[in-house]
Amino acid sequence: MQRVITVSLNHNSYVLEEDAHARLEHYLAESAATLSSNPDRAEILADLEQAIADQCNRRLQPGHTVITLAELQPALEEIGRVADPAASESVNHGAAAETVTRPGLEQVSEGAWISGVCNGLARSASIDVTLTRVIALLLLFVTGGTMVLLYVVLMLLIPYTPLQLNAPPLRKIPAKCREIVTSLRAKIAAMV
Amino acid sequence: MNTEPDLKLLPLRKGLLEFVVLKIVAGPSVYVPDILRRLAGTEFATQEGTLYPLLSKLRREGLVQYEWQESDSGPPRKYYQLTEAGRAQVHALDQYWLQLHRTIADLGHSPCNA
Repeated sequence: MQRVITVSLNHNSYVLEEDAHARLEHYLAESAATLSSNPDRAEILADLEQAIADQCNRRLQPGHTVITLAELQPALEEIGRVADPAASESVNHGAAAETVTRPGLEQVSEGAWISGVCNGLARSASIDVTLTRVIALLLLFVTGGTMVLLYVVLMLLIPYTPLQLNAPPLRKIPAKCREIVTSLRAKIAAMV
Repeated sequence: MNTEPDLKLLPLRKGLLEFVVLKIVAGPSVYVPDILRRLAGTEFATQEGTLYPLLSKLRREGLVQYEWQESDSGPPRKYYQLTEAGRAQVHALDQYWLQLHRTIADLGHSPCNA
């Protein structure tokens, strides 16, 4: 049995199985990142969401209402990765090159305990994650709990890395944290 | 499609995609699946992930415009057309293409002047 997640694609609701949802989230996050400097980003993403919805509808077997990875994966393959014509221009002008090379501080959900803050910190500092966790736990005792607050703030502020393709599904807690933080951010973004 | 010699021609096709899309849009107004279908099976076969960003760039440059049209199934769709500037651009590109073609053909078997 799979849990399902309802999402809105270009203002229509669609029901996806959990792994299909993770794949879709990854695709859209990657597309948004590719288009980050494109002035029409929101519009192109809406177009793509509609294309995904159309493709999935076409592939859905009669009588089925839930989109699985079996429908989503070929749909995304047919749509293809987003290519930003504006970005390739700016590469020619030598501008956008350095932004891709070094990823900044990010939360890494894969293998995380809670949300992936320690995991991400460890990766950016190129040290073992156990070390960052031990430091975090020590700080938790020393500060008498204030550390929890710091963790929550970091969890809300630090962006997530896109989920890896074909990776096994996330553990329960990291998946939940990611879901909550992502939806909170979307709400905040909608308010601003 | 054979891939090996193809690789060298890839940048050429990439550069021409914009021209090819403008030519398709020059006909009766089309929506994205029409364009994809028109290009499928040709050297310029492409995907939505490439086409939507390209169309939005052409729109920003004032070469194409779109209007929403109701569809029998699902939400309204964007139908694209050329603007006046787009039409002029296609005309210019057509001329340029002919000129390029002539130049390249001439280079092949012209007597050496030097």
